[in-house]
Amino acid sequence: MTTHLDLNAVCARSGDVVAREIEGEILIVPLVAGIGDAEDELYTLNETGHAIWQKLDGQRTLKEVAASLVDEFDDPLAEVEKDVLGFANELTRRGILVAKP
Amino acid sequence: MPESISIEIQQFPLWEKLRAKRVPLSFDMEITARCNSNCRHCYICLPSGDRTAKRRELTITEIDDIAGQAVTLGAVWCLITGGEPLLRPDFGDIYLTLKRRGLLVSVFTNATLVSQAHIALFKKYPPRDIEVTVYGVTRDTYERVTRKPGTFEKFMRGLNMLMESGVHIRLKSMVIQSNLHEHAAIAEFCRAHTKDYFRFDPQLHLRFDGDAGRNANIKAERLTPEQIIAIEQSDEQRMNAFQKNCDMLINQDFTHFGCNHLFHCGAGNGSFNISYDGKFRLCSSLWAPETVYDLRQGTLADAWNHFVPRVREMRSNRQEFLETCRVCPLVNLCLWCPAHAYLETGELDGATPYFCAVAKARAKVLSNEEGSG
Repeated sequence: MTTHLDLNAVCARSGDVVAREIEGEILIVPLVAGIGDAEDELYTLNETGHAIWQKLDGQRTLKEVAASLVDEFDDPLAEVEKDVLGFANELTRRGILVAKP
Repeated sequence: MPESISIEIQQFPLWEKLRAKRVPLSFDMEITARCNSNCRHCYICLPSGDRTAKRRELTITEIDDIAGQAVTLGAVWCLITGGEPLLRPDFGDIYLTLKRRGLLVSVFTNATLVSQAHIALFKKYPPRDIEVTVYGVTRDTYERVTRKPGTFEKFMRGLNMLMESGVHIRLKSMVIQSNLHEHAAIAEFCRAHTKDYFRFDPQLHLRFDGDAGRNANIKAERLTPEQIIAIEQSDEQRMNAFQKNCDMLINQDFTHFGCNHLFHCGAGNGSFNISYDGKFRLCSSLWAPETVYDLRQGTLADAWNHFVPRVREMRSNRQEFLETCRVCPLVNLCLWCPAHAYLETGELDGATPYFCAVAKARAKVLSNEEGSG
């Protein structure tokens, strides 16, 4: 699955995965077949991904998500937007996020 | 770019962190004790029509509640087992309930009840794996073990459906007197049909309910130590594993001189077991009443955080035990443990002569191999 989101996209967590927090880390467990590239995979997010994940509520655009993270990341808005967009594209490709119409 | 990282489950760094904190990473859920087969060696099966057993089974609401508590405590893996779990008409709902809790779910089944609905379920919502026991590869042998006519055909049909579906299947066998003559063919069949290693278990333990008649059947089906040695020696994979780990299997460091704790295994350190009627145990074989916690009367957190440490603190002052099993360097070659001791003798620190004889026979083989190497 190839996706090319733009910053006006709104993304939500897919119902095809279950996300759990254990010891402060996000563990993403595929519920259905076809998530990810291989069998028997779990997903975890690094610190930046974790912060973005928490903001992806299916309401805000990626641009709004990036804006809300500028202070936390202490990076220029353009850099944060690039990170958020890259993250959303990657997780949408894997079926962990879905772009809302 | 921030990355989503997909990694091999075993390499997930969180596991070490969790182990250090004594988190229940996995648990077995026996959703029924009933089975449509009646295997000679089975330690749990009750008749499929046993109304009392059926009435006592956990409801899906109770299972979901326990699973939720387990997830809160950090559980990641869940094994659905039985009895025969597919005997429950609500199996699909139970399976999905556990999956939706974010658990990685495996299933043990005899495959005889697999339907197209199960296949559709497993294809859409894949299990981590499905483990099927192969009791025989001919009708005569298979049904001599299961004691139910027609089960071989149903088993082959179900297994073929599972294999054709692409679901991850693992095959295993129990070796008992009734199928020993076919062990080589069973092993060949299993290895030909799954990519994974094939494992077999040549030792039987007794029943959870202490049924005297059925325990007599189990004892009659046990292989002699000599038979166990013969099949283990004929299995290159198994012997290689034994020899590779020889130093760990016969080791004076395991003798625990001066310690009278009963439990030196991992039971209750990272896993637990739930019976069909909601009884929490540290492992599937541990049934001594003082080691069982009723989840219908309490919580999993209480069982895990308070009850398990009390069980693991149990000690024995029986001299015979302290001078034999407690200080035996063959403990890792032996099926002795407090749970099996209880099933055999009614005492957690009882001696188990049969397991002892098997361990000594194994040790003799390994010592000879080491000497000749």
